[in-house]
Amino acid sequence: MRATLTLENGMTVPDQSLTNPDPAWPEPRLTLKSQLEDLTLVWPWVEAIADRYFVPADTQFAIQLCLEEALSNVIRHGYQGQPNQSVSVECAPAVENEGAGELVFIVEDHAPPFDPLASAVDAPAPATASLQEFPPGGQGIRLMRKFASRLAWQQLPNGNRLTLAFAIPQSLSPSVP
Amino acid sequence: MQISTEEMPGGITRVVLDGRMDIAGAAAVDLKMNLIAGSAKKLLVDLEKVAFLGSMGLRSIVTPARAVKSRGGTVVLFAPNEMVESVLKTSGIDTLIPVRHDLDAAIAELG
Repeated sequence: MRATLTLENGMTVPDQSLTNPDPAWPEPRLTLKSQLEDLTLVWPWVEAIADRYFVPADTQFAIQLCLEEALSNVIRHGYQGQPNQSVSVECAPAVENEGAGELVFIVEDHAPPFDPLASAVDAPAPATASLQEFPPGGQGIRLMRKFASRLAWQQLPNGNRLTLAFAIPQSLSPSVP
Repeated sequence: MQISTEEMPGGITRVVLDGRMDIAGAAAVDLKMNLIAGSAKKLLVDLEKVAFLGSMGLRSIVTPARAVKSRGGTVVLFAPNEMVESVLKTSGIDTLIPVRHDLDAAIAELG
């Protein structure tokens, strides 16, 4: 049986499932090794979270897209192909007073500091004249900016933290009975 | 991720992608896509059954499309779902490879 979120007026509260995990619920944190094969673990994890929080299909698409980008960037660029490093992603629901809220994903690594949001690549599409000039890279950041509702980067003492938030429609929020 | 091809009248090669074009899906179709792109003159990439497209998947479409175009061929992307089309538009690739939802229009685009 599914527990409901405990809400306090105007406050963001953690889901009780994070402190009282049920085996049927997804783990709040997923840890991957720094190898692209491990990205296959992300899809079922996000799918379980999407089921748990009644996330609409389009939002689930956006989450999958952004996490694939964020995690593959860490593995390929942050760790530069070094094996046996780790990157974690944690999911936390942030629910506001009215029942609307967001799902927040926090990606943490131990790679050298790199702020992907400081990249010159911005939301507008590239003004390339031909397919031959189409940039092979840089799409990931552009896609994350478009599909996440909020992005934030923070340098950690020994790594990076990228926060990606996705709005959950009010009517589908888990706080609604 | 499934990939199949069909030769259509007018020398059109229709490649049908079916599944998720995530990192694993992209890796699964890359070789075949590049083989197809090595000989196709008019390439119709059928995205109707593609449920997901990430940037690695995007690359798996752009690279063969570039190969076909560099040989003077034509490419069209057919029937992406709304979210997949949003990825195509955000990347700007829709300005370089036409996206069509009507098969006749897609065929006309290939010349």
